[in-house]
Amino acid sequence: MDKSMEKIDVIKLLIYLLVLIVVTLFMILFVIIPNVREYKESQLIDKKASVHQDRVQNILSDRNIELSNLSSENRRAIIAFMHEFSADSFMDYAAKFFTQVSLVQLDKKAHKEEFVEYELKVTTSLKSPVNFYQFLEGLNRYENIVQADFPIYMESNESKISTVFTIKVFDINSTK
Amino acid sequence: MRFSFIAPRQKHLFSFFTKLWLIFIASVFVILNIFNLFLIYKNSSFLSSAKELDSSRAVLEKNIDNIDEQIDLILKQKALAEEIYANNIILRDSIRNLFDLVPDQITLSRVDMKEDSLVIFGTTPTKDLYNFLLASPLKSIFHTSSTMFYLTDSGWYNFVSTNRIINTKSAE
Repeated sequence: MDKSMEKIDVIKLLIYLLVLIVVTLFMILFVIIPNVREYKESQLIDKKASVHQDRVQNILSDRNIELSNLSSENRRAIIAFMHEFSADSFMDYAAKFFTQVSLVQLDKKAHKEEFVEYELKVTTSLKSPVNFYQFLEGLNRYENIVQADFPIYMESNESKISTVFTIKVFDINSTK
Repeated sequence: MRFSFIAPRQKHLFSFFTKLWLIFIASVFVILNIFNLFLIYKNSSFLSSAKELDSSRAVLEKNIDNIDEQIDLILKQKALAEEIYANNIILRDSIRNLFDLVPDQITLSRVDMKEDSLVIFGTTPTKDLYNFLLASPLKSIFHTSSTMFYLTDSGWYNFVSTNRIINTKSAE
């Protein structure tokens, strides 16, 4: 019969207690505490990354809202910039205001690379330049970005006004 | 044949007391190790999660750059379109103002408009009428203004009015 529990050996008890304390202290001091320190550091890194990501996500959604607002506000201008210029359709447009229309492309000037320049010769049978005003107002609603520019030559012959002026069309290829 | 008065006892390598202690110490060791493994697992899980967040953030930042480029392009296009539309309206108003300046008695036959100059050809019944009704407003608009008159067979005057704006930028 084992009587070790009835007669406890104090020396053995102290030795076992010491072993327990040593093992526990060793584990805590040399294994667990360094790992807890690393755990805290990595938790902080993760938290920082999460906060940073949330901030970037918020910026992205703000930018998306800004982009969609800008796109919807400037839809007409954006479409006009994307639209490829057709000389025929522009002459059809000019023919609504003038009786004779001719359009000649001018040489590209180096300092105006983003524009293609045309010389537009038009004749109107009216003795008043009202058609010319309407044509200029209508340019702002045209399917391309077109600017009428100097020099402008107007000559009155009998019942007609002949006008020669420059139009500048924005060239989409220059932005690519 | 028996040599002892008592029956032999079964002898154990470790006593019950020792076993109990060894089990207790081993249990504490195992529990501490499990806790340690949990820490290691959480540690690597935090690090991998931070890495994933970093890479997804890089993708988001790239998206922001793309959107910024699109916003810049739209703003540039908007500014350019507004400038061009404003120039068209300014041109229309300039021409309208010029024709509004000309009184009914004076007839224009030709107008040459450049950015910094205006040359008008026309007919006027008298020099005074021209000088009072057209020359004065032209002088107030342009820096230099000169007119030449030619008497016609009908007694009226053909005139050529040359007006210039001295552009400080081109002068420099």
